[in-house]
Amino acid sequence: MEHQKCYIYTPPTESEPPAKKRKVNESGLQASWRLREKTFQELWGQQEKRIQTVLDNANQTTLTSISNFVAKAAEQTEGSSKIPIGLIVAGPSIASHGTFFSQLSDRIVGESRTCFVSISSSECPNLKTLLSTLIKKATARRSLDEDDEGLITTSSRKGPRLLSYDLQLLYDYVQETGKVAVVIAFQDSEAFDGFLISEVASVLSAWKDRVPFVLLFGIGTSVENFHDKLPRSTLRNLQGEQFDVVQAEEILEKVFWTTVCDEDTSLRLGPSLAQMLLEAQKDHLQSVEAFVEAVKYAFMSHFFANPVSVFLYADLEFSEINEDHIEAIRRLPSFRKLAEELLAKNQPKELRSLLEDDGALFDFAVASITSGQQELVRMIQGIQVVDLIRSCISKTNRVSRSTLYVKAASGELHGSASLRELLLSVKKSPSDVLSNMLDVLIDSGIPNLPEAWVQIQEDLESLAGSTEKTLRSEHDIRNETLRTTVVAQKVELSKQKSTLSKNDSAYSKLLATFQSTLEAFFEECFARVGDMFLSEVLMYDVRGPHRATFAPKTRFAVERALSAPHDYLGCECCKSSSKGGEEDGLSSTQPPTAILYQLYLESGTLINVHDLWNAFHAIVAEDDEDDQSKSMALFQRALAELKYLGLIKASRKKTDHIAKLTWKGL
Amino acid sequence: MLPDELILASVNEQYPCRELQIRQLSTLYNHAFPSPPSLVVHGSEATGKTSVVKAILEANKLPFAFVNSRECITGRHLLERTIAACLDALDASSDELIDRTPYVRCESISALSVHLQRLLEDHERLVLVFDAIDKQREAPPTLLPAMARFGEIIPNLSVIFIVALPRPRFLHTAGTPHLHFPPYSRDQSISILSTSPLPIFLEPIAEDIDYTEEEAEEDSAWLWTRYCAAIWDSIAKGAARDLVSFRGVCEKLWRPFVQPIIDGKFGTRDFSRLLIANRTLLQGEDALLESIVPKTVGGNQKLARVTHDLPYYSKYLLCAAYLASFNPPRQDQLYFMKNTERKRKKKGGAAGRAAKHRKIPRHLLNPSAFPLDRLLAILHAILPHDLPPTADIFTQIATLSSLRLLLRTGAAGGDVLDAGCKWRVNFGWEYVSALGRNVQLEMADYLASGGD
Repeated sequence: MEHQKCYIYTPPTESEPPAKKRKVNESGLQASWRLREKTFQELWGQQEKRIQTVLDNANQTTLTSISNFVAKAAEQTEGSSKIPIGLIVAGPSIASHGTFFSQLSDRIVGESRTCFVSISSSECPNLKTLLSTLIKKATARRSLDEDDEGLITTSSRKGPRLLSYDLQLLYDYVQETGKVAVVIAFQDSEAFDGFLISEVASVLSAWKDRVPFVLLFGIGTSVENFHDKLPRSTLRNLQGEQFDVVQAEEILEKVFWTTVCDEDTSLRLGPSLAQMLLEAQKDHLQSVEAFVEAVKYAFMSHFFANPVSVFLYADLEFSEINEDHIEAIRRLPSFRKLAEELLAKNQPKELRSLLEDDGALFDFAVASITSGQQELVRMIQGIQVVDLIRSCISKTNRVSRSTLYVKAASGELHGSASLRELLLSVKKSPSDVLSNMLDVLIDSGIPNLPEAWVQIQEDLESLAGSTEKTLRSEHDIRNETLRTTVVAQKVELSKQKSTLSKNDSAYSKLLATFQSTLEAFFEECFARVGDMFLSEVLMYDVRGPHRATFAPKTRFAVERALSAPHDYLGCECCKSSSKGGEEDGLSSTQPPTAILYQLYLESGTLINVHDLWNAFHAIVAEDDEDDQSKSMALFQRALAELKYLGLIKASRKKTDHIAKLTWKGL
Repeated sequence: MLPDELILASVNEQYPCRELQIRQLSTLYNHAFPSPPSLVVHGSEATGKTSVVKAILEANKLPFAFVNSRECITGRHLLERTIAACLDALDASSDELIDRTPYVRCESISALSVHLQRLLEDHERLVLVFDAIDKQREAPPTLLPAMARFGEIIPNLSVIFIVALPRPRFLHTAGTPHLHFPPYSRDQSISILSTSPLPIFLEPIAEDIDYTEEEAEEDSAWLWTRYCAAIWDSIAKGAARDLVSFRGVCEKLWRPFVQPIIDGKFGTRDFSRLLIANRTLLQGEDALLESIVPKTVGGNQKLARVTHDLPYYSKYLLCAAYLASFNPPRQDQLYFMKNTERKRKKKGGAAGRAAKHRKIPRHLLNPSAFPLDRLLAILHAILPHDLPPTADIFTQIATLSSLRLLLRTGAAGGDVLDAGCKWRVNFGWEYVSALGRNVQLEMADYLASGGD
């Protein structure tokens, strides 16, 4: 139909997929991809819902206080000549400002008869456009009824027409609709010019007696920075409050915990990946959205790239997978470990059946998925207990749950120094701390806590009821005295335990029981996590894809492509030159731009183009010396490409020279 | 014939200490006499120019149109608003409405002149007031002289310009009468403020105490007047002479000042003891500093604020950017090359020899621009460990530039990807040295001027 200038397009009626669609080979390991995709959809759907709830609830308090402020400002609008202004310190991660402001907009518009306008710096270079954007957004006016001079025709007004930036329009609108406040939110206040903000403030304060304005500024750095930008006369017209958005780290911690804590979560982040993601957040960019995306990517690459992940499908039948999957399990490192364990336990028969009988291995794998799931849930509970106890013993500095998770999942927490220290400080704690601890633990609703604790709590209550003093443990340092004795002109220090009262010794006994049960509990929670069968399925712990996707080395890639084109082209012709002599990677078979780039790397800041041309010609030209026209064309194109890449520019310092602009390896 | 004394008395009561100006305005603008074609009312901020002019015109029942230049964004906007205000004013003064169709648009000052002539053909008179006309944004240069001639062209129109400071011959006409509103003196300011005293006690007085509302009011007024005088003498005389800021300072300090009375330490009339007890309030300058979030003056309570920290590498980037801005590029080798021993020698024994040219220290000058590659090179030099060159670094540079901590110099619409694009820092030494300490980087070690 290309020969026709125009024709009626009739869509193909048949519903068959187009012929060029990627073919998925549905044999072997690929056979399970439908199941895996289904599992992904289900699991990620649940996970996303949970994360969204956390994100929605994260800023509730700040949102409430801001909307209260707006409501209050709308009431008090008469009398005061100052414009109420809310400074929202939202932190340096600009990416999350958008979400916050949209939540805020929903909240404020939903609660009262206000009109909410959000303005960003990119759409408002000057006062005129700012005001017309403001009016346009506030009145939800279409830009159709504006003629070329910017005059607005409104049907309700007669006489002189209004300019598009005339606040009279907004005033009429407010009068018509009976809005109690016009809230103007400047999302990225840093990006606005200080002069522009002060101009806007002066115009708005002139209209303050007619239109009830409330201003909100999103601040990324600090309120002091904002103050410094504005002149004193503007500050005099503004009066307001400061609001703090919850720190990005706190929200991140919460979101991370939701991704791992829930019992229904089937796939968890592995320790090294989790560590990497958390560190990237701290070092590079603080944005919860990026973290959520990374988690989603982890889910996707787990289910789409790892065929064994099909075992996470809730009711998997043996008939739904083929023998390749079973074979894949046998090649997992964790299976090897299991085999060695079985041999060590002298159970070769079981091992043989797992190796030979597909059905047996399938049943075993399904069972160990369930048991592994429970192990992980227990580990999470253990982390919760550790965290609660830490929060009760005030002097220990707090370690975040995410750090604990990383340690526990990699198996480092079991028997670690920090855990021993924790148990030691439990041993020394007096009765009020212990009772507080038990209250918190039992109220926390963590299932599977040792049953003995309830009994301990009751005993402690009855014991504490008998005396008013707080009871001290026998290991408490206050029950020890240092005794110095001088023997043969040497000072000897000896520790002496003071005698314990009856209550104290009873308490010490209780404490010892608690401590031993706690130790057993930790043992149960953390011991078996490190080397679990099928941990590859239950946890996604591959860092490579995330690195390549979320932290690509853009500049490095361009530089590598230019300086070692063989790495990307993989052609036969350049192979020998790049392999043989590392010193001289140049050869005439490489693309001309790459040759020129390598010459460029060798030169200084100012490059004589003629020298460059001579060197280039010496490499490119083969035998016929006289015919320069071809290599000259190649040279000029390569030079133009380098210029396009921003590597060189014409220099004004010397004629015939070009200036080098970038250096390799930065 | 003198102006109506009754009107004068009522306006005088409303705006005290402006008798002379009120009398003059009232003589110029009343029904009995024709008004001057134009008048310039001038005086500094908060001297009652606008309010008095408005009050006189209202009291004398003259039709007047009032245009506030602060509301007008462009010169064109001013013209449009002027014609609209005139129409509204004339509509309000007479019973019949004017047909507005001929006045749909008003592009230029000539159009305004034609419109006004047509409009005033069958009206007796109109006073047109331009408030703060000297603050008009994007005003064409001919605006003021042209407006000054409106009164001459159109016989029944008189124009009043309210300006802060008239430049000589700014209207390009001779013989325009000027009316000056001088700033209020000490006694005038205090007497104006004492007309509206703030109460000492915010809560209503309990019934069982032998102290009535009237007594409280009387005490408040008594104390307020003396308090205002004390504030004027200590703070406002030097730094807040105009009425608005004087009132602002008084209101700001009033609550902490009367707090001892509410606590029951002093009686309501113990002014001198109260003054001595509160002398720190009057010595400080806190009340003069404007701030959006009101600070509690006197008490130095500090709320624990949530601090939003920059990411680790962003801090290093900012430090590197500061160094790139304030170190001369030719000394980079000296400061950042890792393989050479630092050869910088302290100029020992050079104490007696003064430098030939006294140079301004580098850190007092504007930050200079630097290319992106230099920033990255310095970043690599000051980082204690290796950093893979990932896209994260570039994202952070973009973020910092939208936070306006790094600024792009050169053409505003320039391409960011252009390698010739240069950058500049937008923060000071205190900020960056605190950042550096946060990541264990002593900025002074790397700074050419030594950071002092």
